[in-house]
Amino acid sequence: MVVYSFYIFDRHGKNPIFIAITQLTVSSGMHLQTPLATAPGLHLRSTDDDSKLVFGTVFSLRNMVRKLGGDDDRALLSFVSFTTSQYKLHYYETPTNTKFVMLTDLKSPSMRIALQQIYINLFVEYVVKNPLSPTEHTGGVGVNNELFEQSLEQFVL
Amino acid sequence: MSYYFTILSPTDTPLFNIAFGTSKGGGDGIARFRFPETAQYMNQFIIHSSLDILEEAQWTNGAMYLKHIDTYPPAAAYISAFLTPSGARFLLLHQPPHLPSSTSTGSGLGSSSLLGSAGSTTRASSSSVAANPTSPQTEEAVRQFMNEVYENYVKTAMSPFYKQGMEIKSPVFRTRVTAAGKKWL
Amino acid sequence: MSANKTSRIGEETRVDKVNAELVTLTYGTIVAQLCQDYDSDYQEVNKQLDKMGYNIGMRLIEDFLAKSGVGRCANFKETADMIAKVGFKIFLNVTPTVTNWASDNNQFSLIFEDNPLADFVELPDDGRAQDELWFSNILCGVLRGSLEMVQMQIEAHFVSDVLRGDETTEMRVSLVRYIEDEMPPEEE
Repeated sequence: MVVYSFYIFDRHGKNPIFIAITQLTVSSGMHLQTPLATAPGLHLRSTDDDSKLVFGTVFSLRNMVRKLGGDDDRALLSFVSFTTSQYKLHYYETPTNTKFVMLTDLKSPSMRIALQQIYINLFVEYVVKNPLSPTEHTGGVGVNNELFEQSLEQFVL
Repeated sequence: MSYYFTILSPTDTPLFNIAFGTSKGGGDGIARFRFPETAQYMNQFIIHSSLDILEEAQWTNGAMYLKHIDTYPPAAAYISAFLTPSGARFLLLHQPPHLPSSTSTGSGLGSSSLLGSAGSTTRASSSSVAANPTSPQTEEAVRQFMNEVYENYVKTAMSPFYKQGMEIKSPVFRTRVTAAGKKWL
Repeated sequence: MSANKTSRIGEETRVDKVNAELVTLTYGTIVAQLCQDYDSDYQEVNKQLDKMGYNIGMRLIEDFLAKSGVGRCANFKETADMIAKVGFKIFLNVTPTVTNWASDNNQFSLIFEDNPLADFVELPDDGRAQDELWFSNILCGVLRGSLEMVQMQIEAHFVSDVLRGDETTEMRVSLVRYIEDEMPPEEE
């Protein structure tokens, strides 16, 4: 399985609060915070543009899914993943509107559980519960938390 | 039997005082000391004078309850003491009521006959606790009383607005001590 | 979600335990220190407690969601149940009663039979604390902060407290509005 990139957006979505990008196969290691992404089929763009596009996509998609799903339990409704000819995008959103997005290759199984685990075991434990980390990650600094990055690296591998 | 109960901080500051009478054997729970109303300071005086003895007694064993440690014969006052691990001292002065026979001998305090009607004193003295301040039953009753007060003292000291060494003004604590007195003494 | 199911989540969610006295004394010290720092300006102390609670709530909600694994509530009634039977249960091990619904279902009261924060506490008898200080005001902030994170703007305040000599400890919670999703920034 290959993980191309991984994003976390907070509820404001203005900036991703965490980005990890790799073009290597997972078995040979993953580099976090690499500025350029070249997953096959993704055009070479700056990370910034990429993340904006990703956010825009999942945001619209989510809203569309909710609208089509009717109003009854729109809160519970969300999409899990979508597939293109080149990559698969996995999506998980918490009730607090923190969004986890992962781009992998086509062969990968559903990553929904994995993303949920990342939220429960890594994000909450290392980022939210860290009293020194701000509750709102504004200004584009992102999470910037070594423990979280390391554990994430281990988890994804 | 009449009681005067005092809590002293480790630095000998009085934190809490209360006077009450026995409720056992038909007692009405009102203190009737042998001093006139104007001489209630005698209680404090007697209690504080036992501090020296307390300081010696506290090293004799590791127990918190030191039983009866001091007597002040002129007023027939008996002092029981309880030490908390943090150094606060609970002192209880108990004074048996005038027995008809002792009324004449206790004339060192002439005005004492003003206190307490004869009827109530004889009634109180019939109770086993009141009858003999050094009997095992009395020791046991006082121990129970001390333990109950200690529990409540800890709770009061845990209140965030109470500072160590501050006078205990809490009305709740006072009620609870009164209740403990009613229950055991 | 049925009320029974909600209570079951509250019962079954496992959380790390911490000594109750430690919590009580820690919180008591904070409040006493605030009273001292603000020279017994209790209005200000209430405000500070609320603010602290708000910041706690914004984090606590994530922990809550991660541990309990519950999804979003369908309506405010369900939210109230969730707060009482799951939230308070797992974090303070008490279950306040939800009651006194306003006719529009946007306001309810939480009655606390037992409040671990206020054990041992006796308010200072300076004649004002009894009328001005809401000792457990941090809880209002916690609710406000955590519900804001799940798109509900609420207002919470205590209306009575046993510490003040009232019969019950009651908190009034009212829904102000549901917060709409923020739009992503415009592409230029």
